[in-house]
Amino acid sequence: MLKKQSLPKVAAVAAIFVAIILWRPTVLIYGLQAAGLYASIAIPMGLVLGIVHIVNLAHGEIMMVAAYSSYMLCSWLGIDPYISLIPVAIITAIFGFIIYRLTIRQTLKAPELNQLILTFGIAISLTQLANIVFTSQTRKMSFSYVSASMDIGELSFGIYNFVFLVAAIVLAYGLKFFLHKTVAGKAALAVGQNPRGAAIVGIDVDKTYGLIFALACALVGAMGAMFITRSAVFPSVGSPFTMKSFCLIAMAGIGNIPGILGASVLLGVSENFLKAFRATRGWADIVFFVLIISVILGRSIRGKRA
Amino acid sequence: MSKLVTRELSKAFSGLVAVNKLSFSMEEGEILGIIGPNGAGKTTFIHLVSGILMPTSGQIEFKGKDITFSPAHERSRLGIARTYQLIHPLENLTVLENVMIGSVFSRGKNLKEARSAAEAICAELELDGLGRDTSQLTILEIKKMEIARALANEPEVLFLDEVMAGLNSDETRQMIGMVQRIAKEKRMAVGVVEHVMGVIRELTQRVIVLDSGELIAEGPYEEVSKNPRVMEAYLGGAA
Amino acid sequence: MKLKASWLAAALLAVAAIILPAFLGAYPLNVARSIMTYMALAVSWDMLLRSGQISFGIAGLFGLGSYASALAVLRAGMSPAASIVFAVLFAGLVAFGLGFAILRLRAMYFSITTLALMEIFRIIMHNLHDFSGGPEGVVLPAILFNGEAKALYWICLAGLFVTIAASVYFEKSKLHLALTAIRNDEISARTSGVNIFKYLLIAFVATSMLQGLMGAIQVQSYGFTMPDTAFDANFTLLPLAMALLGGIHSTIGPMAGAVLLGVAAEWLKLKIPYGHLVVYGLIIILVILFMPKGLYGLAKDKFKKSHDNRVKGKLS
Repeated sequence: MLKKQSLPKVAAVAAIFVAIILWRPTVLIYGLQAAGLYASIAIPMGLVLGIVHIVNLAHGEIMMVAAYSSYMLCSWLGIDPYISLIPVAIITAIFGFIIYRLTIRQTLKAPELNQLILTFGIAISLTQLANIVFTSQTRKMSFSYVSASMDIGELSFGIYNFVFLVAAIVLAYGLKFFLHKTVAGKAALAVGQNPRGAAIVGIDVDKTYGLIFALACALVGAMGAMFITRSAVFPSVGSPFTMKSFCLIAMAGIGNIPGILGASVLLGVSENFLKAFRATRGWADIVFFVLIISVILGRSIRGKRA
Repeated sequence: MSKLVTRELSKAFSGLVAVNKLSFSMEEGEILGIIGPNGAGKTTFIHLVSGILMPTSGQIEFKGKDITFSPAHERSRLGIARTYQLIHPLENLTVLENVMIGSVFSRGKNLKEARSAAEAICAELELDGLGRDTSQLTILEIKKMEIARALANEPEVLFLDEVMAGLNSDETRQMIGMVQRIAKEKRMAVGVVEHVMGVIRELTQRVIVLDSGELIAEGPYEEVSKNPRVMEAYLGGAA
Repeated sequence: MKLKASWLAAALLAVAAIILPAFLGAYPLNVARSIMTYMALAVSWDMLLRSGQISFGIAGLFGLGSYASALAVLRAGMSPAASIVFAVLFAGLVAFGLGFAILRLRAMYFSITTLALMEIFRIIMHNLHDFSGGPEGVVLPAILFNGEAKALYWICLAGLFVTIAASVYFEKSKLHLALTAIRNDEISARTSGVNIFKYLLIAFVATSMLQGLMGAIQVQSYGFTMPDTAFDANFTLLPLAMALLGGIHSTIGPMAGAVLLGVAAEWLKLKIPYGHLVVYGLIIILVILFMPKGLYGLAKDKFKKSHDNRVKGKLS
């Protein structure tokens, strides 16, 4: 439903987009590709944070664990990441389930702050363990299909990274289907809205939390496997994604999974906009932080008025 | 002059009207009953008057001063105090500290003065064991502490939101006596929300009846309880 | 009686800390300085935590203090001592401005925003090449007290004393009532007349100034800084782990945690040069799961229980 006031805003955003495409088409292309990566990592976190309300600051680290797993499968056994994606997802699902059972479950009833600090501790532990096991050296694999490119007129650009955009769209709508059409998904929604009420109507609340947490870990694990096709792996590779994911979820509004896609496009395109100019290239990283702060503040002020 | 006046006070939550154009006033030294079926808007009304919620429209005046949008802590300093239906003890503070807060922040006393003021209030309410954690209190003691906390603000208008709920008949009797004494000695205007009609009859000189956020009747309890509209509201149209 | 004894113990400890350099060489003094810096950060983090707000931005204010002090010397020609004062005021001013925006936030929104702010400070210093030296950072013309180890120890100790004094004041004054009330129940606090925003702002500005102070002392003691050192995530992580282990919502808890973990860290650094920080992560996890009140809280509960038993014994 479009409100009247938002029409000028939509028109302005559309106008800006058209201007960007005409002026620097690569800004839009690479922006969309980056958006795909951000969204596909953020969406599993959106499931955990938005639907069952568990704060997991170790989200990016789970992806890091998956990236290393997939890296090892590839370098030792020569398994392509797109094939190892499934075993890796299973590994991270089990790993996530264990983390849930051993730690997060104990803090569900404690103040939210305990969960925040606990998962912060898990994130640090995983990063540092990776540091001990793999050292801080960056590792990169190369795959022939990554260099696929396309020419339109004089413009030539890599198309491989669009695969992340596809993944993000599949994830967003797949999860929407899961939550609204399947029994387990409906149970998760019920638990998220009111755990006590859900227990009364016979839903196994503990199992639902565990399942959703493991599912999110499996999804971000699959993304971690795909991640190594495009980027290098190192112990702290995941942590920026935790924050970016959180930001995107906050922008979309907690619980709105498809909205994460839109937020990612905004972030990806604005970052690439700054990257397109030499003078502003170094400032591209700041876009995200400025966005997160303005979005969180905007929401809190609007929340106050309501 | 009336202590507290509201004019056409309304509060809507995303379309749902919880309090609808409520106008009333409270006078010095009176105990006013606020009654109505569940969901009638009694607690929302107290939230509006104490500044926990901001109204959608209308006006609130305290001793002739417009306080419609003043923040809660300022109203507490001016002299409006309340207790909560769902108890809100500060569990990391002792009983005495819980009570002191009002003296310190509403009345601007230093810690020493606040301590003796809080001790005096607790003694008056026959609440002892002031060094305890709030988790060690009985229901009666918690209710007393809630009242003591409100009294520490040295209010001129006090709202008691279901302070009798959960008490047995002896305790209720004790509490009724206490509220009457407070209102008389301190010349306060006291608003009492209560579900037990016996308490309302005994305690109040005047009641207002809310239903679906609207004021449907006003007057002495005996009179109001015979009002057909009130009976209908309570019995859901069966009468 | 009991109160006097604890003041006496504190005074003795303070004297011991002051005369310590007479017995230590340069290396242990260096270690002591690092522990004191972390201790001050842990205590200051806890001071804000008493209001229920978890900051993940300690390193942000610490780094801001470092840069403010270094740049005041390099770009404005201030003396090192004046630059430290300037850095404290600057950190306070920044916190005051930011406070109006971010102190409306609660729980994870506040935490994540403080983390993001730290990154913003870092990126700004990274990119202002001409002003802040960019990624290579800045080198000061001289180190404070010509790098004399004892003097540097004492100035760091002075910063720590200021922090502890502030924390004790927070515990003994009406700030204690205000902050605890805000942490427990904001609605209840408001009806008792507590101006929540005012007290959050006081706590946020005060702790930011303390963190800026420690950053300024650090940069003047080492003579250089760069974005990755000044805004090192360890300045957030270690104080947090120390305070949790020692026991939050107190002055003594974070101090005890800092001594324990600080000494342990020196030893671990030698044992596991890469990744000794894993210990901090594990401590955070274990403490939250099994000992959420920390060592000090545990000791207090034990003492209380035995005290209660004694009272019961006397009665029966």
